[in-house]
Amino acid sequence: MKRTTLFAALAVASVAAPALFWVSAGSAADERTITRYDRESKYYRIRIVDYPDEGRRCLHFSKSRGIQSSMILAAPCQLDLQYSRTMAAALAFHPAPQDVLLVGLGGASLPKFIQKNFPDVRLDIVEIDPDVVRVCRDWFEFRGTPNTRVIVMDGRMYLKRAPKQYDIILLDAYAADRVPFHLTTLEFIQLAKSRLKAGGLVVSNLWEHAVNRFFFAELKTFQATFPQSYLCRSGDSGNIVVFGSLATEQLPKEDWAKRAAAISAGKDFGFDLANLVRKEYELLTTQKIDEKVLTDDMAPVDTLRRENPNHFEEAQPK
Amino acid sequence: MMRLGLLGTVFLAGAALMSLEMASFRLVEPELGSDLVVWGSLISVFLGGLAIGAVGGGRWADTRPSLARLGLILAAAGGVALAVPLYADAVLTWAYPGAGAPLPSEWGTGGAGGTELAVYHPPDMRWAALLAGTLLFGLPAVLLGMVSPYAARLFVREMPQMGTHLGQLYGVSTVGSILGTLGTAFYLIALMGTRWLLSLNGLVLLGLGAALVIAHSLRRRSPPA
Repeated sequence: MKRTTLFAALAVASVAAPALFWVSAGSAADERTITRYDRESKYYRIRIVDYPDEGRRCLHFSKSRGIQSSMILAAPCQLDLQYSRTMAAALAFHPAPQDVLLVGLGGASLPKFIQKNFPDVRLDIVEIDPDVVRVCRDWFEFRGTPNTRVIVMDGRMYLKRAPKQYDIILLDAYAADRVPFHLTTLEFIQLAKSRLKAGGLVVSNLWEHAVNRFFFAELKTFQATFPQSYLCRSGDSGNIVVFGSLATEQLPKEDWAKRAAAISAGKDFGFDLANLVRKEYELLTTQKIDEKVLTDDMAPVDTLRRENPNHFEEAQPK
Repeated sequence: MMRLGLLGTVFLAGAALMSLEMASFRLVEPELGSDLVVWGSLISVFLGGLAIGAVGGGRWADTRPSLARLGLILAAAGGVALAVPLYADAVLTWAYPGAGAPLPSEWGTGGAGGTELAVYHPPDMRWAALLAGTLLFGLPAVLLGMVSPYAARLFVREMPQMGTHLGQLYGVSTVGSILGTLGTAFYLIALMGTRWLLSLNGLVLLGLGAALVIAHSLRRRSPPA
């Protein structure tokens, strides 16, 4: 008798609990959003949400509002998120980029921007999740061009087998709730470095909600790998984009900005790239960072991300 | 005393088992990617090892159960855990065919003015992950799988209430596994890194094995209680 009651209670609870959750989630949802797609993939829960009031379509990789990518529906090839604009500064850093690799497709905003504004650049993209590739094609107007290739593979496995070398390698493979440790370590950054042509650079987006110790460990890892490194604090969201360059000579802020102005000439980026470089430029090479380099053996990424750096105050921009 | 010793043994062996499993993820991911295929393969290798070990260990326990033999099983598992970092890279590079070979430089239907995306899918790596996992962690998993039935055999020889005591034994072993998992995930990976983690588990198992062998010889000298 007792057991029957218990089972009955469990059965009711197991049906009722998710139902209650579903109802509350439904009623709390913002009216002015339209969920276009919401499905589990091999790696993420992929959600595509339209925000008609803003004219935007966003890609989310979890239940949280953390945005992977954002597209202005009226201008699908423009860079909407601040960090993606900062990453685009790489195209001005290198004097004449011909071969570019992007690790982590996201919502394909950087690929579309490059396809439109730099059609001669040969662009390879590595993305681990085949569903992300499909979603970009179906919902984010990502199309093929003779110069675009997509490889469905783990970024590190690809770099190990890459059949060619690149002028720029863009790393955008960290999701808010998932930082694959093997894409953070000295061994990995050195592998990327070995796939660069002379004068090439590796650029990584350290996307986070707040500054934490992982940022600094990763900056240190770049610093240790490249003769020159730079960083851009992208907006005030805590995004940091780090640039590691094989060019041994420092690129002064004004030179970078001038090149940015030059490549923007006659194009409609939708933002001022030269201004962005002037505002965000910081030399990393000579900064003192009180954090250990990450290695394959010792990369406690998840632990570091939970901890605030004690040198946070000094490290903040003035 | 014997009873507590056996409970302590299965507790530590359970902790080391899961700690090794977590270390195995960290060891394999840099080579084969952080992929569901990798996690699934490694979990299966450990479970498969446990299954084989349980059957073999149970049979062996019936022929001549002794603390010393249990100690040797544990020490062997510890020795393998200590050795894994030495050949891990070689095994991992060998397991996935074309590890060093570059990908094709041209593929797909892109181009010719079309807008079809050129997408390249690499060769299947499921078997590579299973193979590498088996070569690296199959043997320690089998050895650790032998521990529970073997300890159980020694345990019930002493105790008449078999069900109660087997339950205790499996319970304590599982609690050890939980603490091994949490300890590794919460602290050890951040504290010591993957290779030291493997070594720590190896040393714990070696030490445990030695302790059992010593306990065995001490018991043989003193008359049974």
